[in-house]
Amino acid sequence: MAINKPYNNRAWLGVLPVLLIVAFSAVIPLMTVVNYSVQDILDFNSRFYVGLDWYRETLQDPRFIEAFGRQVLFSLSVLAIEIPLGILVARGLPKSGAWTSVLLILLAVPLLIPWNVVGTIWQIYARSDIGLLGVGLNELGLAFNYTSNPTHAWLTLIAMDVWHWTSLVALLSFAGLTSVPPAYYQAAELDGASKWQVFRYVEMPRLGGVLVIAVLLRLMDSFMIYTEPFVLTGGGPGNATTFLSQYLATMAVGQFDLGPAAAFSVIYFLFILLFCWIFYNSVMTDETVEDAVENTANNNEARHHD
Amino acid sequence: MLRIQNVLLNPGLNCGFDHDFLPGGMTVVLGRNQAGKTNLCRLIAGLSTQAVGELSLNNAPLNKLSPQKRSVAVVFQAFVNYPNWSVQQNIASPMVAAGKDKAYIQSRVAELAAKLGLGELLQRMPNELSGGQQQRLAIARALAKEAQVLLLDEPLVNLDYKLREALALELRSLLDDSDTTVIYTTTDPKDAFTLGDDLLLLEGGNKLQAGAPLSVYQTPKTFAAANLMSDPGINTFTWSSLSDQAFAQQCQTASGVSKRGGVRPEHLFFVAKSEFNAEECVGFDLQVSALETSGDETFVHGVVQASNLGFSDPRFSDLGFSDTGLSDSGLRDQPSWVVRSPGMLNFSQGQVLLVAVQKRDILAFGGQ
Amino acid sequence: MANIVLDQLGFAYPGALEPTLLPLSVEIKDGEAFALLGASGAGKTTLLNLLSGLLVPTTGRILFDGVDVSSQSGSQRNLAQVFQFPVLYESLTIADNLAFPLRARKAVNGFSAADIASRVAKIAGELEIENLLKRKPKTLSLFQKQLVAIGRALMRPDVSVVLLDEPLTAVEPRTKWQLRQSLKRLQEELGVTMIYVTHDQTEALTFADRVAVMADGKILQTASPQEVYEHPAHEFVGFFIGSPGMNFVAIDSATPAPMYAASGVDQSAQRIGFRPEWARLEHPPMTHPLSAVHWLGRVTHCQILGTQDGAPVGITTLASEVGELKVRGAINATVGEEIMVVVDRCVSFCAEHYVATHYAQSSTVQLTNPVGDE
Repeated sequence: MAINKPYNNRAWLGVLPVLLIVAFSAVIPLMTVVNYSVQDILDFNSRFYVGLDWYRETLQDPRFIEAFGRQVLFSLSVLAIEIPLGILVARGLPKSGAWTSVLLILLAVPLLIPWNVVGTIWQIYARSDIGLLGVGLNELGLAFNYTSNPTHAWLTLIAMDVWHWTSLVALLSFAGLTSVPPAYYQAAELDGASKWQVFRYVEMPRLGGVLVIAVLLRLMDSFMIYTEPFVLTGGGPGNATTFLSQYLATMAVGQFDLGPAAAFSVIYFLFILLFCWIFYNSVMTDETVEDAVENTANNNEARHHD
Repeated sequence: MLRIQNVLLNPGLNCGFDHDFLPGGMTVVLGRNQAGKTNLCRLIAGLSTQAVGELSLNNAPLNKLSPQKRSVAVVFQAFVNYPNWSVQQNIASPMVAAGKDKAYIQSRVAELAAKLGLGELLQRMPNELSGGQQQRLAIARALAKEAQVLLLDEPLVNLDYKLREALALELRSLLDDSDTTVIYTTTDPKDAFTLGDDLLLLEGGNKLQAGAPLSVYQTPKTFAAANLMSDPGINTFTWSSLSDQAFAQQCQTASGVSKRGGVRPEHLFFVAKSEFNAEECVGFDLQVSALETSGDETFVHGVVQASNLGFSDPRFSDLGFSDTGLSDSGLRDQPSWVVRSPGMLNFSQGQVLLVAVQKRDILAFGGQ
Repeated sequence: MANIVLDQLGFAYPGALEPTLLPLSVEIKDGEAFALLGASGAGKTTLLNLLSGLLVPTTGRILFDGVDVSSQSGSQRNLAQVFQFPVLYESLTIADNLAFPLRARKAVNGFSAADIASRVAKIAGELEIENLLKRKPKTLSLFQKQLVAIGRALMRPDVSVVLLDEPLTAVEPRTKWQLRQSLKRLQEELGVTMIYVTHDQTEALTFADRVAVMADGKILQTASPQEVYEHPAHEFVGFFIGSPGMNFVAIDSATPAPMYAASGVDQSAQRIGFRPEWARLEHPPMTHPLSAVHWLGRVTHCQILGTQDGAPVGITTLASEVGELKVRGAINATVGEEIMVVVDRCVSFCAEHYVATHYAQSSTVQLTNPVGDE
């Protein structure tokens, strides 16, 4: 419950430290990058204003376009697997009882592992000479080798991401599912609904709000993915798994071409922003009304006579 | 004394109202859902709300004080207690926060627990208590704050019907002899009579009327005020539809511009033709459409028939029940009247009965 | 529509020390409006859950039309339930919500799309919600949503029983009576067996053909509303029904006052109970001291409920030699005044069970309709 505090301008002083920190760690670097993106930087002292040249060049760069294509394919693939799989896992969890806590903790474990460790785990795991998965697949007759075969590299990457992040979707969906009052399930059962109908008409509407968050998070994160593919495949074989972030890093750090790299960064940033904005706007307006209705329903259930 | 001025309960309203709450007494704030009762409570308590207004307690302005500093205690509709503290710790909490000394706290806790029937439950946790007990605990905790103003926002609405009865009477006797200004909000007019020394009627954020419950009941200023005090709502008719036009003219001139009159369901009674006194009463035929009984009372719903005794043209209730916003409720919209009669009556549907009302019980609404 | 028989039905939660429901037997006739009335903890929700198949009985059986359904699930029993808050499919329109139970069982009941549409129209017509059919639940008020929930429960023409679990809880007090009316009307028109669970006596007495009053896991009385009100089988029934409930006075069985005998109260009675509306206040002295049971009391509180003939009426609370008494009617005394409480009708109890009803000898209280029997 908020309190009607009297208005006092001195409160702004309290915000100042945070403002400074965010300014230094985020805003100023971002502005610097935008600054670089419109200049040609040969070395520290010689810079020339080039306007939007770098932007034009980057957008027409065939390697950029390829990396972008790969990125989109990757993001969509992992989303297509993680969301349904996460929901399925959430539905399989018991809603209450001793096992619930245990299973939730187990589910949370992959989320806690540092990302480069995740990459390393899978890098070794999938190796065809000493890795459990790699050797196993080879024993089964498949000539699995992610270092030489692009398809295998892709599949390994996707498997790794699914292993890493499905838990997030599962946990979020679980929270959404537990908010369904038992009366809804009971009513559907008495109506004679099949399992699929129960999922579609009772659970999915409730999951809507939660899924928006899940998809948003996964979309953004997967689009920015860097550490895991870098550790796993290094972008190879060739550049079969070179996604946008890695290409950018190569350009900026490897070749030290700050101008184009900065332009690239800004474009990258804007794309992610654009996707999220489209997604948010197309889904959020209905959700907010639905949530309000949910809250009313929840409040009324809370008026329990015990 | 708690005084509120220029209070706007909803942001859309134009003019605010003032009210002085009866010092040391119990004021019942009666209004429907969404009338602004909770906003009023939150304003007085200092919690965030859309309502604005000036508050003063004993001539000291209250607006700038935070809720902790105000001498106001609140009991909410949902049973709000500290879930991780025992009953004893819950009751002691306001006194601990105020820094009172231990011996005093202990004796006060024992006293309050005894008063509210929680004496044996001091070591239990709130979630082990029944609903009625939890609400008693909330009340004990509010009383422990020893505030000058006690706000109860529909505290009994989530309780069982019988429990509600019992607790309402207990509250009355508990608060009767204290100096605290008590404000009790409710949607049930019965509470106004049971509990209130003073009554404040709210609708849509506006103050309709204030005063002693009986006087508000007998002389409502507007239709809305009259309607709020009757359960179910008032039966209305237009003066032009009365057969006895002389009487109608009388009432209209006495009340001003009023086009409508009303009768409370409890003032209608069944009478035999032979016993009907045309001098003192207005009578009419009612065709029974439904009966509702709760044992000690019966509500008879029926359709008014035209007659030269009562109403020459019974299609008069242009109000019907649409004022309660139910015109889209999907139920039959007939000019239906309700008679509230004591005892358990048994009429059959379609039966036509003679109903009368004393002329002095007919209400005329000024200016509406 | 089914005839329901509960045969020695009992229930205890596994590991609980005491059973929630003691073995009880009751028969609910086909097409009857039946109410289960009781306070929280009385066991009525447990009984409802046993009927709906959510719980399995520990002892006894449940029979629908003579068939033992105790081990069948809710959907197998072909029943419907209305909950405390409106339970609707939020993503479907109202028309689809109503059609859902029929569509879900299409394979079983063979309803064609036309059949379904006409049934939806019929039920929507009964409830007068035809103008809401194309809308979604989130645009409706709580009252309208609960109407739809009731409609959905009535969709299947062959539904065995409709269970209502305190359906008016979420509805605003002013609109409760409208929903009550609709329910009663629907029940009568469609002839559906309905079991209504509530803690509110007005809802129970208004709705039901018969009321079962429950307390502590037992059914204390199953009878018509009139019976339950006038001849309570158990002291708790007398207490629970009526606002306020009955006054109880213990009789000193060793030396009962002669006024009891004059009213017909016999030796076996331990307590008598009378409803506040069965008594009146008279200024002492009484004209015929032996003709009615009476006590002297001092008024402690007057609760005004309204006016009649310009005079206040309501409930007067008095302190007397036999305890606190409440009288309902004209308030013709002020606080602190001493006045006689005269009882025109009372009921005697022995070991909390009903013995007989007694009337004062020279009572002129009208017990039937004031207009006479028409």
